[in-house]
Amino acid sequence: MSDLKIEGYEFKPGFKGMAKDTGSDQTMFKGVHWGKAMMWIFLLSDTFIFSCFLISYMKGRGSTIIDWPNPSEVFGLHVFGVDVPLLLIAIMTFVLITSSGTMALAVKYGYEKNKKMCGWLILATAIGGLTFVGMQAFEWSKLIHEGVRPWENPFGAPQFGSFFFMITGFHGTHVSIGVIFLFIYAYKTFAGHYDEGKRGWFTSMKGDYVEIEILGLYWHFVDLVWVFIFAFFYLW
Amino acid sequence: MHVGIIFFLVILGSVLFHIFTPWYWTDVASNWGGMDDTITLTFWIGGGVFIAVCLFMVYCVFKFSYKKDRKAEYKPEDKKLEKILTWATTLGVAALLAPGLIIWNQYVNVPKNAIEIDVMAWQWGWQYRLPGEDGKLGTTKVVNINDNNPFGINLDDPFGNDDVMIQSDVINLENNRPVKILLRSVDVLHNWYVPQFRAKMDAVPGIVTYYWFEPNKTGEFEVLCAEYCGVGHYAMRGGVEVQDKQDYDNWLQQQETFSDLIAKQKILENEKTKLAKK
Amino acid sequence: MSEDFNDNKTIQAQSSETISGGGSGITPDMDYVRPAEVGEQDLYHGHSFITKWIFCQDAKVIGVQYFLLATFTGIIGLILSWLMRLQLGFPGLAPFMTAEHYYQFVTMHGMIMVVYFLTALFLGGFGNYLIPLMVGARDMVFPYLNMVSFWSFFVAVGVLLASFFVPGGPTGSGWTLYPPQAILEGTPGSGYGIMLMCISLILFVAGFTMGGLNYLITVLQARTRGMTLMRMPLTVWGIFTATVLAMLAFPALLVGALMMSLDNVLGTSFFMPTILKAGEVLEYGGGSPILFQHLFWFFGHPEVYIVALPAFGIISDLISVHARKNIFGYRMMVWAIVGIGALSFFVWAHHMYVSGMNPWFGFFFATTTLIIAVPTAMKVYNWILTLWRGNIRLNTVMLWCLGFIVTFVNGGITGIFLGNVSVDVPLSDTYFVIAHFHMVMGIAPLMVIMGAVYHWFPLVAGRFLDEKLGKWHFWLTFLGAYSIYFPMHYLGFIGVPRRYFEMYDSPYVTSAVGMNEFISLAAFIVGAAQFILIYNIVKTLKTGKPAGHNPWQACSLEWLTPTVPPEHGNWGDRLPTVHRWAYDYSVPGAKEDFITQTTPPSEVAHTKVEKT
Repeated sequence: MSDLKIEGYEFKPGFKGMAKDTGSDQTMFKGVHWGKAMMWIFLLSDTFIFSCFLISYMKGRGSTIIDWPNPSEVFGLHVFGVDVPLLLIAIMTFVLITSSGTMALAVKYGYEKNKKMCGWLILATAIGGLTFVGMQAFEWSKLIHEGVRPWENPFGAPQFGSFFFMITGFHGTHVSIGVIFLFIYAYKTFAGHYDEGKRGWFTSMKGDYVEIEILGLYWHFVDLVWVFIFAFFYLW
Repeated sequence: MHVGIIFFLVILGSVLFHIFTPWYWTDVASNWGGMDDTITLTFWIGGGVFIAVCLFMVYCVFKFSYKKDRKAEYKPEDKKLEKILTWATTLGVAALLAPGLIIWNQYVNVPKNAIEIDVMAWQWGWQYRLPGEDGKLGTTKVVNINDNNPFGINLDDPFGNDDVMIQSDVINLENNRPVKILLRSVDVLHNWYVPQFRAKMDAVPGIVTYYWFEPNKTGEFEVLCAEYCGVGHYAMRGGVEVQDKQDYDNWLQQQETFSDLIAKQKILENEKTKLAKK
Repeated sequence: MSEDFNDNKTIQAQSSETISGGGSGITPDMDYVRPAEVGEQDLYHGHSFITKWIFCQDAKVIGVQYFLLATFTGIIGLILSWLMRLQLGFPGLAPFMTAEHYYQFVTMHGMIMVVYFLTALFLGGFGNYLIPLMVGARDMVFPYLNMVSFWSFFVAVGVLLASFFVPGGPTGSGWTLYPPQAILEGTPGSGYGIMLMCISLILFVAGFTMGGLNYLITVLQARTRGMTLMRMPLTVWGIFTATVLAMLAFPALLVGALMMSLDNVLGTSFFMPTILKAGEVLEYGGGSPILFQHLFWFFGHPEVYIVALPAFGIISDLISVHARKNIFGYRMMVWAIVGIGALSFFVWAHHMYVSGMNPWFGFFFATTTLIIAVPTAMKVYNWILTLWRGNIRLNTVMLWCLGFIVTFVNGGITGIFLGNVSVDVPLSDTYFVIAHFHMVMGIAPLMVIMGAVYHWFPLVAGRFLDEKLGKWHFWLTFLGAYSIYFPMHYLGFIGVPRRYFEMYDSPYVTSAVGMNEFISLAAFIVGAAQFILIYNIVKTLKTGKPAGHNPWQACSLEWLTPTVPPEHGNWGDRLPTVHRWAYDYSVPGAKEDFITQTTPPSEVAHTKVEKT
C-alpha cells in the first residue's frame, strides 16, 4: 500500500500518520475497500466468539470433577502397528496452513489479473479446505466410534466431548463455509466475472479482484483460529 | 412557565416522599449496620446531586425559555469548568467508593470464631446442618443424598458423624455470635436472604459459597429466596430464630445428630427384619 | 437489469473551485475541501412494490421497517407488563394468572424490551435512518446486507413470538436465562420455550452483525467530503460506539445461547453441575452455572450501553437544536461516549456481586463501575450546561429532553448504590434494582425515543406531529412513569425481593400493598398513554402541518437534503460538502441563529465561529 496516492492528501508514516488519517474527512482507513474493512471488523467480532469458546473451555477444563483425558492417547492413530500420537492432526494442520499459502498466492495473481493462475490457486485452496474437513470428519467418526459423545466420554471428563465437538464443529463450519465460497469464487474467476465487473447474483455488487483478498482474509483467520484450537486441545 | 413549575413540583414531591414515606428499612438485626450507613451516605450525596442538577435545569427553563429577540450564548467549550467538574465528581465518587470497599473487605473476611452453618437449598425449600462437638462439618456430595442421608454426608468422613441436622426450614441462631453461612444447592440457584440481616449470597449447585454475619437482635425473622429459582421461587421461605445463649443451647441439645439418625435407622431396620422373621 | 443502477452516472472528484462559489472577494482557499476519495456509490433502485417497500435496500426504509417491527414487539412487551402489574397490584383478579404465566410474562417482557425493542429501535431504526443522512452518504455501504439484517431480525422476532404457541409456552427463566433452572423442569418453558429463545437470540445476533458492520463501515469509510469524525453529530457517535460494543459483546451472548442449547438438547454439561431433582440424580455433572453468568453479563452490561449510548447521542442533538445553543463541551461528550463504551467491558461482574463468584472480584468491579460514573456525570453536566444561557424552545421535543434528564439522573444515581459492592448486597435482587434499571435504561431511553420521534417525524413524513397531543403524551408518560419507579425504590429498601409472584404473607411487606396498587394503576395509565402517539402519527401522517425544509432550523446534514422526505440516494445529484461541526447555533454576528454544516466559511466570514 506504499504506493497509495490520494489527491489532496499527504500520507504520513507511523503513529502521526494514523492520527492524521483518523482526524481526516471521508475515510479513516485510506484507500481501503469497504468490503475489506468490513471483513476486518467482522473478524474482530468473530475473534470474540472464539475467545469466548476457548475461555469457556479453559474454565470448563479447569473445574471438572473427573480427570481430563490425555490428548496424545485420545488423538493418537494406530498406523502399521505403531501408535503415533497426533499424527492425523499434524497432517490436518499442515494441509490447512498450506492452503493459506495457496490463498495468499491466489490474491497476488488476482491483483496481477492473472485469471488462470488465480483460479487454479483458489481451487487448490478449496481442495485443501475440503481435505481438512474430510479428515476432521474422519477424526469425529473415530472418536464417536470409540464412544466419545457430546454428553459422555469413556476416557474421562464428559466435558471433553462437549467442548471438542462444539468448538471443532464451530470451526469446521467456518471452514466449510469458506470452502463453499472458494468454489464459487474459483468459478467466478475462471468465468471472468472479476475482469468484466459482472454483478453478483445475490448482492448485485460489481465483481472485483478485491473480493478474493477479502475471502483470503477470512481464510487466513480460520487458519489462525485453528492454530489456537490445535494448541488448546491437542497440546495442552 | 408551567413546565418549570411542574418539574419543580416533581423534585419537591420526591423530597417530601422521602421525608414522609412509611416504607423504609426494616431495623437492622446484624452487624451490617455499616451497609446502612454507606447507603445513607450515598443517598445524601447522590440525592444532593440529583436535586442540584434538577433545580439547575428548572432554573434554566425559567430563565432561558425562548424569546424571539434573544440569542443564546455561543461558547463551545470551557476547559476550566469542565476540569473542575471532572475532579469534583471524581472526588465524590471516590468518597462513596472507599467506605463501600472497606465494608466489602469485612464481608469477605470471616472472623475466626464464626460458627459454620451448612444451608442446603433445593426446589423449593431449605434445611440446615450444624457442626457437632468437633466444630467441623463433614464433607458432602449431592449423589449421596437419600432418605437415610438427607444431607449427602460422606459416610467415610469422621467429621460428619456428629453433625447436627435440622430438617426444617427454620433454624435457631445464637445472639451476638458470628455465623458463617455455607450455601449449597442440589438443583438450581437460590439465595438465603434475611432482609433484617442485610447480607445475602447465591447458593450455586456444584460449589459452596459463603457469607457471614453476626445477629444482634433476638427474635424471629423470615428467610426469603432472593435468586429466581423457578415457579416456586416466591413461596420458598424459611425462618430464623435468634436466641440468647441459654435458649440456644437448650434448643441445640434437642437436635438430632447424624449418628443418632443412623442409629435410629438401624433400629428401624432391625425391627423390620424381626417383623419379617415373625 | 442495468437500468436499476446508476451505472452510467459517474461523478468526478470535484476540485475546490467548483464548490466554493467564490466571488465574495475572500480567498477561495478558505472554502477548500479535499476532493472525493471514493467514487459514486453503486445503488440498486427498487422499482416494484416489493423491492421498494418490502425487500428494500434503502437504509431509510429499512430504518422505518426496524422501527415499526420493534415498536410492534414493544407493544407486546407493554401488554405483558400490564399483566404483571395486574398480578402484583391486584393478586387474584385475573383468573388465568398462574405463577407459570407470571414468570413467562416477566421473562418475555424483559427480553423483548431490552433486545427486541430498545436495541433494535436505536441501532436498527435510528441507526439506519440517520447515519447515512448525518454523515452525508447516499446509503449504507452494503445495502443488500442491510436488507438481510432486517429480515433476520424479522425471523428472530417470529421465532420469539412462536414460543408463545409451543407446548410449555415461552421460557419463564427470567430475562437472564440463568441455568440450571432455565432448562430444568420447575421453570416454565424449560423445553421448547428456552430452545426457541436461544434460536431467536442467535438469529438476532447474526442479523445484528450484518447491520452493525454496515453502520461501522458507513461511519468509518463513507463520510462525505469535509465530514471528519469530530464534526459528526453526537447521535452518530453514540450509535457508532454502541455498535462497536454490540459487535464485541454479542459474541458472548451467542456463545452462551449456543452452549445452553446444547445442554438443553444434547445433554452436554457446560453449565450443569450434578443435580438432584425429585430424588433422582440427573445425567449432568461437572459444569459451571457461573460461567454462563459471566458470558451473559459480558454481553449484558455492554448491552446496557448499547441502549444508553445512542440515547446519549440523540438527546445531545435534541437539546442543542431546541436550546438553540451548541452542545457544551462537544469534545468531552465524544470522549465520554468512547470512554464509557470502553469501560463498559470491564464492569460486567457488578451484576454478580452476590452470585457466588470469588468475592475478591468485588473490589475490582466496584472500582471500575464507579469510575464509569465520572464520564457519565460529565455528560449530564454538559446537557444542563447546554441549557444554561440557551434560548430554550419549550416544545414537545424539549419536554422529552427535560424528562430524560430527570429520569436519567435519578436512575444514574441509584446506579451508584448498586455499583458499590457492599451497598449492593442488601439491595441486589430487590425492587430497588427493578426501579433503578427501569428508570435508567427503560424510561430514560424511552424519553429519548419519544423526543426523537417528535423531532425527526417532520423529516420522515414531511409533517409535524400534533403538539397538543404530544404534550398530553409527555406529561402522562413522564409523571406516570416517575410515580411508578420513584416509589418502587422504597419497596427495595424494605427488602421486597424481585420476581415474586405474590408475597403479602410476609409481615413487613403488607405495608406495601397500597403502594403496589398505586404503581399498577400508574402503569396502566402510562401504557395507555403510549397509544396517544400512535393516534397522533396516524392522524398527522395525512393531515398534519407540512414541515418543509429544515423545520427546526437545525445545522446537521440530515435536514439539508434536496427533498423532504429524502429520496433514495439522499442527496440528489451532488453529495453535500461539510465545512463545520453540527452545532453552530447562535453564532455572534450571524444573520440567523444557526449556520448549517454545508455553509462555506466565506459566506459567514464576518461571524465569530470558534470551532469548526
